[in-house]
Amino acid sequence: MAPTLLQKLFNKRGSSGSSAAASAQGRAPKEGPAFSWSCSEFDLNEIRLIVYQDCDRRGRQVLFDSKAVQKIEEMTAQKTEDVPIKISAKCCQGSSSVSSSSSSSISSHISSGGSSHHAKEQLPKYQYTRPASDVNMLGEMMFGSVAMSYKGSTLKIHYIRSPPQLMISKVFSARMGSFCGSTNNLQDSFEYINQDPNLGKLNANQNSLGPCRTGSNLAHSTPVDMPSRGQNEDRDSGIARSASLSSLLITPFPSPSSSTSSSSSYQRRWLRSQTTSLENGIIPRRSTDETFSLAEETCSSNPAMVRRKKIAISIIFSLCEKEEAQRNFQDFFFSHFPLFESHMNRLKSAIEKAMISCRKIAESSLRVQFYVSRLMEALGEFRGTIWNLYSVPRIAEPVWLTMMSGTLEKNQLCQRFLKEFTLLIEQINKNQFFAALLTAVLTYHLAWVPTVMPVDHPPIKAFSEKRTSQSVNMLAKTHPYNPLWAQLGDLYGAIGSPVRLTRTVVVGKQKDLVQRILYVLTYFLRCSELQENQLTWSGNHGEGDQVLNGSKIITALEKGEVEESEYVVVTVRNEPALVPPILPPTAAERHNPWPAGFPESPEGTDSRDLGLKPDKEANRRPEQGSEACSTGCQGPASDASWKPQNAFCGDEKNKEAPQDGSSRLPSCEVLGAGMKMDQQAVCELLKVEMPTRLPDRSVAWPCPDRHLREKPSLEKVTFQIGSFASPESDFESRMKKMEERVKACGPSLEAREAADVAQDLQVSRSPFKPGFQENVCCPQNQPSEGDEGESDKGFAEDRGSRNDTAADAARQLSHGADLGAASHGAAGTGGRRLEAARGLYVKAAEGPVLEPVAPRCVQRGPGLVAGANIPCGDDNKKANFRTEGDIPRNESSDSALGDSDDEACASAMLDLGHGGDRTGGSLEVELPLPRSQSISTQNVRNFGRSLLAGYCPTYMPDLVLHGTGSDEKLKQCLVADLVHTVHHPVLDEPIAEAVCIIADTDKWSVQVATSQRKVTDNMKLGQDVLVSSQVSSLLQSILQLYKLHLPADFCIMHLEDRLQEMYLKSKMLSEYLRGHTRVHVKELGVVLGIESNDLPLLTAVASTHSPYVAQILL
Amino acid sequence: MNAIVALCHFCELHGPRTLFCTEVLHAPLPQGAGNEDSPGQGEQAEEEEGGIQMSSRMRAHSPAEGASVESSSPGPKKSDMCEGCRSLAAGHPGYISHDKETSIKYVSHQHPSHPQLFSIVRQACVRSLSCEVCPGREGPIFFGDEQHGFVFSHTFFIKDSLARGFQRWYSIITIMMDRIYLINSWPFLLGKVRGIIDELQGKALKVFEAEQFGCPQRAQRMNTAFTPFLHQRNGNAARSLTSLTSDDNLWACLHTSFAWLLKACGSRLTEKLLEGAPTEDTLVQMEKLADLEEESESWDNSEAEEEEKAPVLPEGTEGRELTQGPAESSSLSGCGSWQPRKLPVFKSLRHMRQVLGAPSFRMLAWHVLMGNQVIWKSGDVDLVQSAFEVLRTMLPVGCVRIIPYSSQYEEAYRCNFLGLSPHVQIPPHVLSSEFAVIVEVHAAARSTLHPVGCEDDQSLSKYEFVVTSGSPVAADRVGPTILNKIEAALTNQNLSVDVVDQCLVCLKEEWMNKVKVLFKFTKVDSRPKEDTQKLLSILGASEEDNVKLLKFWMTGLSKTYKSHLMSTVRSPTASESRN
Repeated sequence: MAPTLLQKLFNKRGSSGSSAAASAQGRAPKEGPAFSWSCSEFDLNEIRLIVYQDCDRRGRQVLFDSKAVQKIEEMTAQKTEDVPIKISAKCCQGSSSVSSSSSSSISSHISSGGSSHHAKEQLPKYQYTRPASDVNMLGEMMFGSVAMSYKGSTLKIHYIRSPPQLMISKVFSARMGSFCGSTNNLQDSFEYINQDPNLGKLNANQNSLGPCRTGSNLAHSTPVDMPSRGQNEDRDSGIARSASLSSLLITPFPSPSSSTSSSSSYQRRWLRSQTTSLENGIIPRRSTDETFSLAEETCSSNPAMVRRKKIAISIIFSLCEKEEAQRNFQDFFFSHFPLFESHMNRLKSAIEKAMISCRKIAESSLRVQFYVSRLMEALGEFRGTIWNLYSVPRIAEPVWLTMMSGTLEKNQLCQRFLKEFTLLIEQINKNQFFAALLTAVLTYHLAWVPTVMPVDHPPIKAFSEKRTSQSVNMLAKTHPYNPLWAQLGDLYGAIGSPVRLTRTVVVGKQKDLVQRILYVLTYFLRCSELQENQLTWSGNHGEGDQVLNGSKIITALEKGEVEESEYVVVTVRNEPALVPPILPPTAAERHNPWPAGFPESPEGTDSRDLGLKPDKEANRRPEQGSEACSTGCQGPASDASWKPQNAFCGDEKNKEAPQDGSSRLPSCEVLGAGMKMDQQAVCELLKVEMPTRLPDRSVAWPCPDRHLREKPSLEKVTFQIGSFASPESDFESRMKKMEERVKACGPSLEAREAADVAQDLQVSRSPFKPGFQENVCCPQNQPSEGDEGESDKGFAEDRGSRNDTAADAARQLSHGADLGAASHGAAGTGGRRLEAARGLYVKAAEGPVLEPVAPRCVQRGPGLVAGANIPCGDDNKKANFRTEGDIPRNESSDSALGDSDDEACASAMLDLGHGGDRTGGSLEVELPLPRSQSISTQNVRNFGRSLLAGYCPTYMPDLVLHGTGSDEKLKQCLVADLVHTVHHPVLDEPIAEAVCIIADTDKWSVQVATSQRKVTDNMKLGQDVLVSSQVSSLLQSILQLYKLHLPADFCIMHLEDRLQEMYLKSKMLSEYLRGHTRVHVKELGVVLGIESNDLPLLTAVASTHSPYVAQILL
Repeated sequence: MNAIVALCHFCELHGPRTLFCTEVLHAPLPQGAGNEDSPGQGEQAEEEEGGIQMSSRMRAHSPAEGASVESSSPGPKKSDMCEGCRSLAAGHPGYISHDKETSIKYVSHQHPSHPQLFSIVRQACVRSLSCEVCPGREGPIFFGDEQHGFVFSHTFFIKDSLARGFQRWYSIITIMMDRIYLINSWPFLLGKVRGIIDELQGKALKVFEAEQFGCPQRAQRMNTAFTPFLHQRNGNAARSLTSLTSDDNLWACLHTSFAWLLKACGSRLTEKLLEGAPTEDTLVQMEKLADLEEESESWDNSEAEEEEKAPVLPEGTEGRELTQGPAESSSLSGCGSWQPRKLPVFKSLRHMRQVLGAPSFRMLAWHVLMGNQVIWKSGDVDLVQSAFEVLRTMLPVGCVRIIPYSSQYEEAYRCNFLGLSPHVQIPPHVLSSEFAVIVEVHAAARSTLHPVGCEDDQSLSKYEFVVTSGSPVAADRVGPTILNKIEAALTNQNLSVDVVDQCLVCLKEEWMNKVKVLFKFTKVDSRPKEDTQKLLSILGASEEDNVKLLKFWMTGLSKTYKSHLMSTVRSPTASESRN
């Protein structure tokens, strides 16, 4: 049973059974098809490292270019061996068998795989030649053509088209000791070499001591020793075992703030969106004092020196010419960037160290050899890590994620999981091994907690199917944060307080067993599932616009079309990127395209003081004119265009329209707009609604083509199918229809439906105008609109003639509009403000007519709006006077403004200087966003799929979960990895502690290694884990229930219930701790049913909802 | 997306300039807060509290209010601007779009009005066009630092027949503080921005070609080679992008496009994040609420159901019950606040235990937990009510049926908590039943029967409580596990009332989870008795009292849960396929 089952587990169904086997070889074949990155085209040696320095006095120099390094096989310089060994032995312990795993596939002369050989056996020797020719250009890119004064580190990514390369650079300010000679030594050496290449052949011995930084020697970033609790632990509490609590106060942003009930996931995401917000200016998030250290820690840095030198490190990935492979890597690179960056930081540390160390070598050739081989080692390690990360075998179906996403075979999935789960409980719980492992996982990978926190909402679906968090969903919409980042945090369990970042490694010779364990753990290692949404806009206007602009949609004649077949296939290659505004500028612009009218008219720009306002006004007008059209002309216009549509789709929409409008009215009335305002609102709504409605309608059309055929379609055009990803026929057909309509209206302008398709069209196409004009004038269903249609026409004409004389009155009006808006802004939303503004603009445009009155009107913000909305045109003069009458009554409404008329005018005058750029507080022209359609697909290129790995040939640093055959490399690297993780957290937020859970199935031990605690016992990697009795009893009861043949899905429900119990217990514990500074284990045990061995677990759980818990226990 | 998108231009006269810039304004509070009509408002309210500070901080900076900021807002002096450096005409108010669903606003101006943002955009613009080097000059770059934000920039040329080299240099930049987000979005942004650029270039090319056709500049320039270039340029250098593309709506169009870009990029990836199932208590509460709503709807044609409930359940009790939400945690404190202070009431289980004395309390609690009828006889309605409010916290919500005060005896099937006035006759079979417990409240003969420290208890000291049952529980009987734990918790004065509350929640949920299994096992799957026995021992509930308790508590399971189990059992996959 085992093999077949395992195959099932580790291979996605349908895929060949070879992947498990293949994975052992360190190459990832297409294991879980969609979830792995194929790296066959990825050449490791094409990862290039360049180090550059930029110095005020000396200009730019290449300090290293891996392309200029060649390995030489023959051994020539024995004598040089000793020196580097000594030095390196001092600073690097342990050899790095960097990529021994993948060394088979990392062919190569430069492979640092060499480092795993014995020193004497084979001595890689390097020759440093001249840097490649492109290095100057690259240097230019790294530093930029103009020096930046910024002292922190700068991150850059360049894409080089040919040959395709991706370059990631970091530029640091160099920090050097006062006495230390900087890199000049090195530079001298290089120059020396470059002058005399022969000398460069001196070879250094690359000994076996790789740059596996065991941590403490990083020059600039000595880990701050965490206060050790040592013997002072509160024995009574039993808490000390969980270690790591000591640092909690360091964390500036403990994930959840203070609320005890709200979910920590939510808090974390909300905080993220807030801390990276741009709205309020920039909130400095963390100290960015990241410098490149050229001094040993003992050297005091000389601040004066810092400014003058910059060091840049670049990694260049050569990309495959094949598009697919290239895209794969790019996808991987960009989605996993935090990991790349983290490794780049490691590389940087290694370079720093190499530079510092090599300075101690007096002889320059030796120095260079030492330096080069150090850097090559570090680069080798980097390459190996990236390769591993890219190619590691992934668990094809992580249980939790699969359960969450695919509901199809849920039952089977449950059964499969439960079978494995119970098998492990039964068979490998020797020595409580499995219970210990699960305890550790639940303690550190805390993302399961939010998934069991009881909610107050009733479940929508079945019980085994939990509900997706609506609040988080909403948050993502209103305050978008980066879900990839959130997922990464979940996976690493970094949601407690203090923030701890955790990985789990299962070690064991029995691959089957290890794989089983990994599989089961993927149920408990939880994270959110990501969806990819392709948003498309589908405003008809847009399509029309685009087609006319002819930019994006490729059209071609298709043979079959010639004979007028009714079958027109239209496919959109891609949605046009330029989204045409759903602008109402048509009527106004037809008569008076605004650039011509005023914009930078001399009077506007030149006469700064007086001219400005009119200028402003005038400028605004065209836009506003169009808005005005929304009140007057555009409203009906769109309506006109709408109606014919209705004819096509039946009359339902027609009937709906007014309802729609009126339903929204209340909000408009808030403005106190009054009756006329309503009218405007209706129009406005019609306009706004229209684009949103269109898609529906067109979808509803049974056969759009019929309509098309009715038109004297002049050209038969086929739209070519391109790479557009969506196969969704719905979407396509909709697009098709739109295109066709567009096409249809191009030639046949009288087509009414054209109007809505191509608002902008009229601007450019004169023949269209008459038709459209007709639309404007044509009587509408709604009486008011008829009026407006007429009036608008008049209005538009008015504008044409009056444009330049628009005048002071209008200017002041516009100012009034500002003020009015301000008052509105305070009270309500921008939307309302806009309404007001729009209204005012109508008024403003009419300014000349009312000239004497206008200045006084200014003050009446809201009241005026109401009046202003009265349609202009023939009737509107009367209307205006009526408005006038209203003014006094409304006067009080904006008394908050405090300004008298005169003041307003005065300030309007005074304000002139800034008028041009002063925009923030003014009333922006509202442009509706096109309605969006979202096509969602499951996103598989995410951390949830990539960091849960299978059985790997060797230990790897980044993976959240993986298994490996031996702990050899683990022992070598773990400490350094943990330290590195703390110093360069991939989460882009400070973390208090890095943790690694190591489960060894050979020794049946589960240990937790942390960055905070030096392990005294050399034999051990970390602390043994206390088995929580909660977990034990949970395991036992699941096993027993399973044995009693309770169905799998029920067992899983029970499992979730039990996990929820743990959560509730943690609530109780946190409540208990609120009033206690000491924990009395007895009390907990007898009364609360919490035993001391549960404490680490429950405390950790409690820290996700009650951050103070950890503080109390400190 | 929390980003700014901007179009920048390298003006031949004035250097790098920001032309047009779209910002995103989010609602200060998560929208979900108010919008969810489901309960959970408590939680949301707390979030809101956190958010309020945030919002006030925001408001201080928001463009709407910062009029003074704007007037002093930085920005190039007008004289430094030429046609080519400007997008929206002077005085143009800018554009705004509302995304109603998300309450996000997209606002476009030539420059951000916030001074800090202004300089950030400005710096990004300068870097994009004159510092950072992009191979081939056209293409994407990413650069940035923590202080100035991170920028995805795409530089490109726009054809201009009058410009030097017949082209002008532009860039579209996206600025974020979240560099990881920005880098994650690179492929997406690149595609979209590239698309926008293509279209701009396409438009410009047409104009260019038309102009070249009309008046070939190259030839002209050849001829006027002697003229100092600068002179010639002065006349023409300042061409706006609008005229270069001959698109009058260009800025509106860019606004929409940028807004769209921001929206699409912000929603490109979404998470599906699961949350835990509601507790049984929550479910039952919901169901009761739903029932009540239904009831009130059909108030007029109420029939059997109505009759049953309406007379016996006074409005007050029922209402309180329902509004209290998850009752356990809040009921005690609720009691305190809802009752006028000096009334003689029970404030907590611990309090009751002190008043009644441990043995009496144990007997009472025992009966409560087992679902036996608990009858309180007293003239003091409030006292009885408070007693029930306190006692009910020991039971799952679904197990509680209270008739707070009645003038006649009500059968046990109708209520497990019954309050009676002192004169009501209790039928003899009830008096002698082992399934009922009666608490008689008399005026105390002595002033303090059970001396208790708390002052508030004075009021209770005037009473004497006699707890009797048909068959008193043997003193040595172990009793249900949960009772012992509750007693332990109540005894331990170190534990605050809140801890005890949480403890009760835990205990109840723990036992409800056992109930669920038992229900599934016996009612749904109808398994044989031996199996059930096994199951009970697995659950740690094989003792008689525990079994009884489980059976009683089973009646408290929510309908939702039961029907769910019932409906899924039938699926054949369950047990057979496993072996």
